[in-house]
Amino acid sequence: MKCLLIASESAEVLFYWTDPEFEQNIQEQYGASQEEGEKPPAFEDCINTLFAPIIISCSTMVDRLGDGYTSFSTENNHSYVLHQFEECLYIAVNGDGEEGEEDLRRKIYVMKKMIEVLFGVVTLSSPLLRKELRPQDTEQRTRLWKHLQSLLETYSRLKEQDQSFLVEAVERLIHPTLCEQCIEFLERSLVQQINSSVERAGEEVLHAFILVHTKLLAFYSSRNASTLTSSDLLALIIMVQNMYPSNIDLEDCAPEDVENTSAPDIFYTPEPSPTNRDSGTDGDSVSSGRYEESRPEEGSHGGRGTPIFQFVDPDIQMAEDSLQTLECPPHDPSTPSRVFLEVMLKEGCYPMMPHSMYCLPLWPGITLVLLTKIPKSNLAMSIYVFLEAFAKLEKRLSEGLEGSAARGQTSIQDLRNKLDKFIRAVGTVDIQTSALQSVWTEFKSRAFIRGGHGFNRGLVPWCRGMKTQLCGVYRQCFMAENGVGGGGPQRLSPSLQDRALIMVQEKLIDWKDFLLVKSRRNITMVSYLEEFPGLIHFIYIDRTAGQMIAPSLNITDRATSELGKGPLAHFIKGKIWGLVNTSRLYLQKGYSTVTLRDGDYFFCYFLWFENETGYKLEVKELPILPDDSAPIGMLAMDYYRKLLRYYSKNHQGEVVKCYELLTVHLGVIPVEYILQHCSQLARKLWEPSRIPLL
Amino acid sequence: MADNTVADSRYNYFFLYDGSKVKGEGDPTRAGICYFYPEETPLDKQELLCGQLAGVSRCVSELSSSPVRLLRLRRSKFAIRMKGDFLWALGCSVDIPDVSICNLLDQLINLFSFYNGPIRKSYQIYSQEDLAVRWARYLSHLQEGTTELHHIFSCLSTIDSTHIDPLLLLKAALILQACQRCPLVLAGCILFRGRVVSTQMSPDLTVKVMLLQVLSQSTQSTPKEVNRPRKSRLLSRTLSDTPPSDPPEPDPARPAPLSLHCPSTPGSSTSDDLLFSPSLSFHTPPGPLSPSPSTVSPQISYHSLPNGKSSHEVEEGVTGGLHDQSLDSLEGGDSESGLIGVGPVQSCDIPHDLNRHNGDSMALDGEKAGALGFRGQNSPGCGRRRTGIVADEKEGHRGKVQLADTGDVPPAPCENSSGPPLTTMTLYQHRVRGLVLALLVEPHFHNDTAAVEEVYHSSLASLNGLEAHLRTTARGGAGPQGPYTFAHYDCIQNTLTTNLSGRPGGAQERSFVRATSLLHSHFSHTEALQEAIVRNAGAAVYATRSVAQETYFLQQGGALRNSGIPNHQDSAFSLPSKARHRLLKHGVNLL
Repeated sequence: MKCLLIASESAEVLFYWTDPEFEQNIQEQYGASQEEGEKPPAFEDCINTLFAPIIISCSTMVDRLGDGYTSFSTENNHSYVLHQFEECLYIAVNGDGEEGEEDLRRKIYVMKKMIEVLFGVVTLSSPLLRKELRPQDTEQRTRLWKHLQSLLETYSRLKEQDQSFLVEAVERLIHPTLCEQCIEFLERSLVQQINSSVERAGEEVLHAFILVHTKLLAFYSSRNASTLTSSDLLALIIMVQNMYPSNIDLEDCAPEDVENTSAPDIFYTPEPSPTNRDSGTDGDSVSSGRYEESRPEEGSHGGRGTPIFQFVDPDIQMAEDSLQTLECPPHDPSTPSRVFLEVMLKEGCYPMMPHSMYCLPLWPGITLVLLTKIPKSNLAMSIYVFLEAFAKLEKRLSEGLEGSAARGQTSIQDLRNKLDKFIRAVGTVDIQTSALQSVWTEFKSRAFIRGGHGFNRGLVPWCRGMKTQLCGVYRQCFMAENGVGGGGPQRLSPSLQDRALIMVQEKLIDWKDFLLVKSRRNITMVSYLEEFPGLIHFIYIDRTAGQMIAPSLNITDRATSELGKGPLAHFIKGKIWGLVNTSRLYLQKGYSTVTLRDGDYFFCYFLWFENETGYKLEVKELPILPDDSAPIGMLAMDYYRKLLRYYSKNHQGEVVKCYELLTVHLGVIPVEYILQHCSQLARKLWEPSRIPLL
Repeated sequence: MADNTVADSRYNYFFLYDGSKVKGEGDPTRAGICYFYPEETPLDKQELLCGQLAGVSRCVSELSSSPVRLLRLRRSKFAIRMKGDFLWALGCSVDIPDVSICNLLDQLINLFSFYNGPIRKSYQIYSQEDLAVRWARYLSHLQEGTTELHHIFSCLSTIDSTHIDPLLLLKAALILQACQRCPLVLAGCILFRGRVVSTQMSPDLTVKVMLLQVLSQSTQSTPKEVNRPRKSRLLSRTLSDTPPSDPPEPDPARPAPLSLHCPSTPGSSTSDDLLFSPSLSFHTPPGPLSPSPSTVSPQISYHSLPNGKSSHEVEEGVTGGLHDQSLDSLEGGDSESGLIGVGPVQSCDIPHDLNRHNGDSMALDGEKAGALGFRGQNSPGCGRRRTGIVADEKEGHRGKVQLADTGDVPPAPCENSSGPPLTTMTLYQHRVRGLVLALLVEPHFHNDTAAVEEVYHSSLASLNGLEAHLRTTARGGAGPQGPYTFAHYDCIQNTLTTNLSGRPGGAQERSFVRATSLLHSHFSHTEALQEAIVRNAGAAVYATRSVAQETYFLQQGGALRNSGIPNHQDSAFSLPSKARHRLLKHGVNLL
């Protein structure tokens, strides 16, 4: 009984995902009110009708009371969590007790994160995002929604199975020698070779990494690349897992899972995607005008051309025969996915900058991922700067600070010149700018009349208009191009990709089987038992680097895991998952140390700060957050980044690192020993976590 | 008054909404609003809240096929109860734990049905205005807990047993036992200034009976009604018809019924089983006003007198007059203080299976448990006998107990099939200044003059003695505080022992309360959790619980410099042994 829904303020469904139980429940409810013999309404309509009163009430409360709903719970323990991002209302529902409100809130934020990675700056304009999420074309909409649904399912699966997604930190394969060799190989051979090739079509590899299932074997960033944030890296791993789903235990999976795991093979069937029918030849002409409400004649283009999703989950493809008849070309592995990632440069921080992601499957379970900078990506930065400027201006104007807005004359003059130049420049590279041009002209004529007296509240809608136009140009540059048939998609040439693939395959062929096993037995509890009798499990996390270490916890029906097998292993796994949730609950309220005696187990949770040399820094009062604050983690909203920034205020000029340790002991062990174990563990684990990402 | 302001910030809204009144398109939302607190809220805001919350609750409960329990907003939250067309909502700030606010709403609803019977019936019998006064009274009664901690645990306020000679407690228990010699007496409790001294009833029953204290004070303080030379037969009626003195300008012509609280089954913690069952309604005396030395402002006066400190003086002053006149039918005058116990008699609704519950589920310790096995418990099924007893008694005199038969009150039909049927019971009350003896008796108790006399006489002298002792010792005030803060919650008796004063304290006290509230919610939904230590930069709190109790402990004093890294020499981890050691002298045994 699970559901996630995104709705606009006018109660239009922009996206939904439900599990089969929820769908059945809704249909039963609807069926009851249905006349005999009548055709049941489309599921989307049912869900729309049922949720509409909630959505409308929510906006009524916000309008009239200034306070919106955050959650509901019922006597049979169904939970509803609501969160409004700009004009989109997200509602997550659970009716089977598997997820609490925290989980639902996290799911909502993760969904939003995935949408940001897929749509970039377009998410900053609600009208554009609305169209993007709900293409008018039914086929396209179905395809997009299927894709988002499968991303969400992949995330949920990973969060249930994988400790690194439980705590939202990347897990590395602990094998320092191999790891180092691979990094060196990526740097000296692979990236260098690609970046010096003429077939790279103007792209430049910034990051390259090798994943074994969800675990990171090696990660290399080129010198002039900004750091890839943990949040983005985790989101990318979800996307890779979605493309090439891997079950934790290939040989142990249930029959339906076998189908799953064999699914990637589909990608190798040489089925070219010749026509890109959905985009056709008109892709280039997808004009910015479709975003301009006042231009209906151009608006008729709406609903075409957003095939940024070249890959669609093969399982879903197979399962939905209805979709097969739709013209959805099988994924062409050489087509990159467009992703929008944060870039940190000296000049500042630019969220959601366009990149291309190439996922090259080395073997089932092992994937090489290349992230490239695409040509024109400096356009994205300019657009972002303009967007920010207009957002600031809008804020100042709507707060009634005309004075300060006018004081900012010089910067506004500056903005004017730059934007003029920008529009001229963009016009030359085949991008429709007429709409932007006309709104900008209108803006200027209003703003710069009578020596800047035009800066008043009346300009606010024009600021918004400018933002929408800028987002429209951005969308044209970085999203539409992908599906454009004309010049063929921008990408590294397939042969270059093939060569890269073969290079890495050759390098790793001898290690392949080892890696697959290692990913399931990264570190094992057995090696700690002697030193720490009574210790059942631990998770150690370096929040500064966004990495974690934990003994493997594979629970399958056939293989015996560290925890043994059967109900006990599942029970302990449940305890660990619960402990992580509990520790977050207390951390949210400012508690950095928690110990719990729960049944036959004893749990500890510690969070602390160190400087670079390992010197322990004094604990400081942590912020106390409201119940409905963003979930604590790194994937969706990076709580730890904020925490580090907050803590570093008193440690200027010093690198501050943040660590967490969770342990589970047998309850019979005296507490003094347990605490001793914890401090020894923290010391012992400090070293491995220092393996540099780079 | 301070209490009221605190209370106001605690619960910001309460309303009862009857969806059956708003069915059609054209029906205004206001038609469905049965009661809204605060009453001065502009009508359009009332309509907004009721309409939206009721609408959303309905929609959600249809989606989930289950009633909504809690609605959270960014800045507030609402505990919700839905039953049939009725919807109750109690709103509070987000800091109050979910479990506490939900409990509180249940208590409130139960309080209502305890004294008024099923909700639908009540709204048929009484006017909306009458019931509004009652709701207001129940609300204020529940709001005036002593400290924030009491609210977190929704517990009974008890007298601080550490400052009282244990013999007095024993004496109180013996008085109750003595009363039970009369087979018609089921169980009883003794209250002193709004706090429980001893009780044989389950906590949720006790909390309902405690409203009496407030009520009887008010009764006394309204001389008018008592002035009328009436037979007690009429008294109960009279009382409910007399104007409440609470409105700013008391209008004698306006009927002012009193509000009282509701019951819940002793054995079952979910309270709703009672409230919707058929039951008895009964009248209670109107709201008090204490035209008293302690200047209670008229508006809030019906928020009942503050507990505890509830002026003994006030009563004395006020009741003096009342006494003289009203008791002229009694022989002799009041000799000394002029204190009177007016015992309005209430018939209360007790679940049919009360006895069974008491018999097997009450785990009160020792004597209490024994006392609880009601004798003569063949409480008739859902028989609806309505009786009221009014016992007027005067200190130092032979009390005269008058009985009122209220049989003509329309019986409550079994309109709701859910929940165990409610049974009519009667409450006997005997008041000596700040001390109240309340007994739950069989409805025909009043018919048995001999029994009434027996109970009255057997307890009179001991009650006087007990009151005198309590009065002198209870003045002691809070004892010296140790270098630590603790709270000990007894889940069975629903009582709290703490050395935390009610006044807003320093940073550490606030931090203790915050941790306690967090840990209490954690305990309430994690069965296997036995012990926890949580620490932030400022303080570490240790919590432990067993089936019967929860204990929270904080060691005061400057937080030692620590880095938060695991360290077995960390002082936070010595809290359990410190708590065991320190709390022994408070009668808390953690071994």
